[in-house]
Amino acid sequence: MTTLLVEIVTPEVALWSGTASSLMARSSVGDFTILPQHTSTVGDLVSGIVRVDTDEGELSFCVHGGYFQVTPDGAEGVTRATVLAGIAERTSDIDVTRAHAAKDAAQEEINSAQRGDANDASALQLARDALARAELRLSIAEK
Amino acid sequence: MAGGQERILRRRIKSVQATRKITKAMELIAASQISRSQARIFANRPYRQGMQRIIIEAALGDPAAAQKLLSMPDTVETAIVIVVAGDRGLSGAYNSSVLRAGERVIKQLQSQGSAVRLFCVGKKAAPFYRFRGLDVERSFVGFADRPSFADARLIASVVAAPFSEEQAQEVLLVSTRFLSAGSQSVETERLLPLSVPDVPIDETPKVLKGYTEFEPDVKELLTSLAPRALESEIFSALLEGAASFHISQQRAMAAATDNADDLGQSLTRIMNRARQDSITTEIMEIVGGAEALRSGK
Repeated sequence: MTTLLVEIVTPEVALWSGTASSLMARSSVGDFTILPQHTSTVGDLVSGIVRVDTDEGELSFCVHGGYFQVTPDGAEGVTRATVLAGIAERTSDIDVTRAHAAKDAAQEEINSAQRGDANDASALQLARDALARAELRLSIAEK
Repeated sequence: MAGGQERILRRRIKSVQATRKITKAMELIAASQISRSQARIFANRPYRQGMQRIIIEAALGDPAAAQKLLSMPDTVETAIVIVVAGDRGLSGAYNSSVLRAGERVIKQLQSQGSAVRLFCVGKKAAPFYRFRGLDVERSFVGFADRPSFADARLIASVVAAPFSEEQAQEVLLVSTRFLSAGSQSVETERLLPLSVPDVPIDETPKVLKGYTEFEPDVKELLTSLAPRALESEIFSALLEGAASFHISQQRAMAAATDNADDLGQSLTRIMNRARQDSITTEIMEIVGGAEALRSGK
């Protein structure tokens, strides 16, 4: 009996954990699928969707960049796949109106920063990140 | 005259009781915040530990690259110090102990010939250092009670920029770590260059075998991991600082409530004695007056 234990973890909350038959995501190298008995792997995740196949069907998560680690668990035949994402949510939890508002706010902030007083480089970067997140959420939600 | 003293005492008792009501309320509020902030620390642990495990794994996977990326430079020309204190006072020694520890760290760095760029978290921090003639580069306020991950990301992006532009060689964090509900301690942690956690935090030793695949390779991974690990460490320090603050405040306010009880009790005793005295004096006066009238007849 081989099983794959999947954990999707963010800094504020452990989003989901359970057994699955596979996990699909994209790293900076390319798309990959993790199946039970996968070899130990550490890698990064680019922003996009992480799909987890479970007994109750496919779950999908919107991940805004992160890392993953696959290790054999202590027990025989158990593989543990951990997804660490700074920000992530179930795709079904995406709030479209909020994403639209966030996109506009981020765009506005970028514009005002570029117009003149762009003295705070980190604030601009954060606004760009927020814009990217809002766009990713919208593109997923509109599918 | 005696009646006047009684009135003064009564007024003081009233004010002590009013203060007691406030400290009691603050104690209860802090107590309710403790469990909430503790729950947030526990919710953060899987992420933080997962992050640390990936760093350990990557460092073991390519020790040479890790050595190069993670080792300390020979000379630290400029060090960044982040001090995490609270937004509010009335919390016992919470603020002063972390601020003093930060001051010691800064003094030590300066005596070693490093310039210090100081960043503060919490309203209580910046005035402390400004008063001591230190320059606070930026002060982050308003979220020390209930930090969110976005707050940690903001701080991380601000302090990571000079480090990656090689204007600073070291980033240190001074904060109160939450060891358990009964014990918190002020600690100084080196955030950058990344330190590999020396104790494997995992209970499964299989993690540390070192035949792991990496996508992309270790060098790239560690480079991109550094800012994420920085965020994670800052966030956990903020969470633990908030929990420590609430515990410290609850303890301080419980002590203040007890003191108010004691003070109220002793004031009440003094007031009762004063009232009794004045009654006794009045009776003596009446009796004395009556005696005088009767003998005068």
